This record gives sequence, C-alpha cells and structure tokens, in this order.
Amino acid sequence: MTTGTNFSRKAAGTGALLALAAVLPLAITEPSQQNFLILILMGAQMGVAWNIVGGYAGQVSLGHAVFYGIGAYTSTMLLTTLGLTPWIGALVGGLLAALFALAMGWPCFRLKGHYFAMATIAVAEIMQILVTNSDFLEGAVGLYLPMDRSGWTWLIFLSKLPYYYVILGLLVLTVLVSWAIERSHIGYYFRAIKDEPEAARALGVSLTRYKLIALSVSAFLTAMGGSFYAQKEMFIDPGSVLATTISIKIALIAILGGVGRLMGPVLGAVILITIEEYSRTLFGSTGSGTDMIIYAAMIILVAVFSPSGVLGLLGDVHRHLGRHLPGAKPEAEKAEKMEVRP
Amino acid sequence: MRFAAAITEPTRTPDFQANAKGKLPTRRQTIKRMLAAAALLTTTALTGIGFGAAPAQAEDEIRIGVIYPLTGAAASTGVELKAAAELAAAIINKEIPAPPGLVAGIGLPHLHGAKIKLIFGDHQGNPQVGATEAERLITSEKVVALTGAYFSNVTATASQVAERYGVPFLNGESSSASLTQRKFKWFFRTTPHDDLFVGNFFTFLHDMEKKTGDKLRTVALFNENTLWGNETTKLQVKLAEEQGFTISEKILYPAKTTQMTSEVQRIKAAAPAVIMQSSYLGDAILSMKTYKELGFSPKMLLANDAGFNDSEFLKTMGKDGEFVISREVWALDQAERNPLIKQVNDLMHQRSGVNFNGNSARAFTGIAVLADALDRAGSTKPDAIREALQKTDIPASGLIMPWKGVKFDANGQNELGQGIIVQVQGGQYVTVWPFDVATKPVVYPMPAWDGR
Repeated sequence: MTTGTNFSRKAAGTGALLALAAVLPLAITEPSQQNFLILILMGAQMGVAWNIVGGYAGQVSLGHAVFYGIGAYTSTMLLTTLGLTPWIGALVGGLLAALFALAMGWPCFRLKGHYFAMATIAVAEIMQILVTNSDFLEGAVGLYLPMDRSGWTWLIFLSKLPYYYVILGLLVLTVLVSWAIERSHIGYYFRAIKDEPEAARALGVSLTRYKLIALSVSAFLTAMGGSFYAQKEMFIDPGSVLATTISIKIALIAILGGVGRLMGPVLGAVILITIEEYSRTLFGSTGSGTDMIIYAAMIILVAVFSPSGVLGLLGDVHRHLGRHLPGAKPEAEKAEKMEVRP
Repeated sequence: MRFAAAITEPTRTPDFQANAKGKLPTRRQTIKRMLAAAALLTTTALTGIGFGAAPAQAEDEIRIGVIYPLTGAAASTGVELKAAAELAAAIINKEIPAPPGLVAGIGLPHLHGAKIKLIFGDHQGNPQVGATEAERLITSEKVVALTGAYFSNVTATASQVAERYGVPFLNGESSSASLTQRKFKWFFRTTPHDDLFVGNFFTFLHDMEKKTGDKLRTVALFNENTLWGNETTKLQVKLAEEQGFTISEKILYPAKTTQMTSEVQRIKAAAPAVIMQSSYLGDAILSMKTYKELGFSPKMLLANDAGFNDSEFLKTMGKDGEFVISREVWALDQAERNPLIKQVNDLMHQRSGVNFNGNSARAFTGIAVLADALDRAGSTKPDAIREALQKTDIPASGLIMPWKGVKFDANGQNELGQGIIVQVQGGQYVTVWPFDVATKPVVYPMPAWDGR
C-alpha cells in the first residue's frame, strides 16, 4: 500500500516529529510548562493504548481506569513493601493488568456494543469499591511513594525533564506496538471484527480470542501509564487512579482525535489536555465554573463538527479537496497521511 | 477563545475560501496548515499556562498560592473557602479595620507593611490537578507559600510538590490523619485530624459520666460502609477497647440504603447506652425516621458530623431532629461566647452574605496563621517562614476557632486543636462540649419519642 518514497517521507516526518519532541523541553524550561507537556504525553499514551481495543477492534471500553489503577497500585505496592524498582514493578503491573483483562474479557465479550461498554463500567466501579475498602491497599487513605528515594533506579525525580523523557519513551513504545498491530494480520482481524463480526467469524477469525488479545495488550500498556502516574504524582488513591472520570478521559482522548487511527489519540491528547489546562489556568481561579463551560463547549464543538474525531475532520477536508485534484490518490491512503509511521 | 479559531480556521475558512476562488491548496499545503494549527494550539496553550510567568509585581507584594476546588462537585464549598481566605487577606492588608485581638500578622509590620496577594488555583477535586496547580503557583507565580486544598487526597499531592520545592504548605481544612504522619519538613496543619475527632467522642463520654454519674459504657457502632465509615469504625473499636467501653453492636450499612428496619431492630435488641453513628444525609434522615417508627431512643445519639450537620437535615427532620448530638469543628453560637468570633463573622456576613461554617472558619484561620508567621519571619525566604511557623504560638483568644491555640509539633500538626460537640436544641446547633467553650448544657438523656 505504501510506496517507497512515501514510506521514506513518512519516516523522515516521524523522525522530525520525534526530534522536535526530544528538544522541546530544552527550549521550554519553565517546570509548569514542562509539566503541561508531560500531561499531554500521558494523555496520548493512554489514548493510543485504548485505541488498540476501542479503535482497531471496535470494542469500546469505558472501564480502562481499572487497568490504569492496577498498574499504579502494583508498582507502588512492590516499591513500598518489597523495595522493588518501578522499572520491574511497571512490567509486573502490566502483566497483572493483561491477566485481569483476560479474566474480565472472557465473560464481558459475550456482550456486544453498548452492553460491553456498560459491563466495563461495572467492572471498573467494582474495582474502585474493592480497593477503597481494602486494608492491604490502604483503602481510601491512599499510598504514598517514598520521597527520600530518587534517581533513575527509583524513577523519582525533582526535575521534570527525566519524567518527560520516560513518558516520551513509553509513548513511542505504545505507538510502536500499536503500529505493529495495525500492520500485522492481527490488525486486519481486529478491523474485520469491528466492521463485520459475522463475516469475520465465517472466515474463521475467532472473535473472542482476538478481542481478548486486543484487550490484554491495551491493558498492559494502560497499566504502564498508571505506573508512570504513580511515579510522577507520588501519591495514589482510588479517587485518583481508579475513578470513572479517568476511564472517560482515556476514551474521550481517542474519540476526539480519531478512533482507529494510529496518531489520532495523540492529536486528541494535544487538543483535550490543552483545552483542559488552558481553560483552567485562565478562568479556573474565578470559581464561577467558566473553565468548565469553555471546556465542555470545545468538546461539543468538536463532537458536532467532527464526530469521527479531529483526524477524521481533517481527512474529510482532504478528501473533499482531493476530488478536485488531478491524479488524486485513493481516499484511504489520504486519511493515513497524518499518521506518522516510523 | 483563541483556540476556537485555531481549530476551525485552518480546516474551514481558508480552504473553503480557496475552494470558492478555484485555487485549491495542494495536499502538502493542507498538511502544513494542519501542523500549523497544532503548533498554534500548543503555543497558545503554553503562553496561556505561563500567563503570569513574569508578573510585574510590586516590591512589597507577598504572593501566597491558594488551592481550592473551585469547580466540580465541591465547587460551592470551594467558593466559600475562597471568600473566607479573601476576607482574611483584606484584614491582614488593613483594607478593612481589623477586629481587636485577632492574631494574623495584621499590617505585616515586620515586612514594612507589605501587602499579601492571594493567587488562587482550582484543583477540581482531582489530586493530579492539585499537584499541577501547586507546581504552577510555585514556579510560574512565584508564591512564597501555599495553602489549601480542602480535599485530603489533593492536599497529599499538592503538599508533595511543595515539599520537593522547599516551599511552606499550610493546610487549614483537610482532616485525614495520614497527612501529618509523613514527617514532611514543609507541611503544617492547623485543623485537628480525624483520629482526634473520634478520640473526642470517648473523652466526651468520660466527661459525661463524671457529670451525670451515669454509666455510658455500652456503645453501638452504626456506620456507613465506605472508607470514612470503615476508618471510623476501626478507630472506634480500638479506642473503645483501650478505654474500657463495650461494643454491644457493630453495624456497617450501605449509605444509599432505602430501609434500615432490620439494622435498627438489631441495635434496639442490643440496648446500648450510646449509639455512635457516621452517616451521610439521606441515611441520617432515614435512620432517624426508623428510630421514631420503632420507638427506639437510646440515652444518647452521638453522630459523626456529615449528614447530621447538613443544613438539609434539620429542614427535613424538623422537631424530630432535636437532641441529636454531633461533633463539629466550629459552630455559629461560638459568637455568643467570644466577641472576636462575632466581629469576624459579621465582617464575613457583610462581604459575602453568609455566616462562617466549619470549613470557611478553618480556611480563614489558615491564612491568618500563615500571615502571622510571615510577619514574624520578617522575610519571604522559605527557611525563615518555615522557622517562624515552627515557632508559632497563638493563644485561644487570638483565634476564631474553639481551640486551645495553635502550636505545631515536630510533624507540623497543630497540637492545640480540638473538635467540639454540638446538640440540636430548639432547632439550632449549640455547643455543649468541651464544657469550657459550651454555650448550653447537654440535654441528657435523650427524651423518649412519646415523651417529647
């Protein structure tokens, strides 16, 4: 599908984008602005991870906070009780989340569409209640990470810069996994399941198996994001890593940017986090709720003008123009134009 | 609304205009525009975030960061807290005449009459946003100290940021005991914490025994079953054992329950002298109705704030809410006892049309204590402020709280804070304990339903 020149152009584009991302925090030295960039990358990472199951495989999960929470709690518990470095803790958290996804997906994938989404909400709610009442996990009091440790072993830093590069690396990893899936036969199965589940089954694609693969890979990556959250904020409680609002935000980022497109969630995160932070900083301190009104209005605007996400909107404009262009290429490829591929 | 233009402009206006003119942009141009839009969006955001990055500040302006939930579910509380903090700042800056006796570093004489400026941040009840705001206030707004954040979990993350930057954080209104168990260097808390409040119940029972000669040793615990109820139950069981009380029944129920008949019957059968109850509003009302229905009245109903102190509770219960005893952090009738409280409350009422409550009174006190330390520090250097906070010693007479004073222990916890216990009498919450700040004697035992 991709020609050689096209591919190298994309590779160059990706390289440029990565290089820009790598030097950006060197130019922006204000810690609160670096923090803002980190929040964007965190949002993007969650969105790309969600996109694997919610976008490609079309199984909309509104309970991803459960994986985020498993990641955050696992690495933190291993760090505080066993003194295990979060580098390993995050991997363990990811594996636990993937296992949990298998256990949760087995019954939940018997449900379709909205019913599946509702089941995921229920699972996330149950998990939040369980953790809130768990003495072992310090219940609603929450867990603190030790502030006396710092450095790369413990992944705790005073400066924002290391956090930025860690989350950038995690985002790149997540995008790579997503890209690999998109290009592989699994990715085609996912899309077949999304578009025509009956036809896919008729062709011998095991629906449950591939849905489970999608959910567990997505869960693994989401959990890594959760571990990063714990390392960055150094305090977790059910309200901060298992809340329904996190599930919604994860899905919203992907939906806003463009579901089922590699870089859609990245664009979605840039837009959503920007609106969120910008409106709060400018209007939040008034206490009149102006920031929330503006935030909501922006989301409604995007939803009205672009139900297929901002990438979809851009694609539409593109296609609209493309029709008038001599030698226009097939639409599908144009839609992919914004997708940056390494 | 600059970003609104940024989203719609490149995709709609220019392209459609170009379309109309017949000059079509190439695909690459479109992409360039899209990238430009993204870049514009980002830069706009960054300028926005760094809006106050280099504020032109007056030489004698001392900036204090204040983080409250100004939007979201707790916004109404946040707005009250903000009004109280602003009142404190106005008094400290001598914009309005200071009530005599109030300790708040009024006029900041040791800082040559500098003015304090409160910079507000909104945490929306979200711990991550709280940390983000704390960082912004410290690094962009250059505040010399932080205060807030009402929610215990937000105070947890925001104070971690302050600790990392070495900026004093004074918390006036979060009650999770764990906050001052972290051995932070830069964290100070004026309000008493939950463990102390629960401890107050037992002290109160001891005091009542002495006063009445009655034995109040059998206690039923009747608590809702989320974190708060669970934590409270654990502590109550522990303290009851230590202090020689017998738990005759222990029931944890879901707060959203719609009927409590069987639970109340169990308690009635256990016949305790005292019920200790932790309920939110709906369940508090339901339990009272069930008590009445089943004709059950213990000698004492000792409630743990929350639903029983909600303004809706008495509106709904009317006379049936009488004689309930509940813990509080502050009560308006304290103004009758202490002229300072009355004067400050009058100022609050003039400015914002509402009386103080437990939250806003504690927020006011937080700012006052911080300003007192700032003034004694005579400097805005973090170390000097911290040292002054450690040396804080404010007598009860200089506060609007029913405390013994303000003095921080090694963990930054105010060791002179205490809760009060109020009772509904004549449709009002009146302070009945500690006896030295009480305005009315306790009505004891609680009259039976048919004897009212």
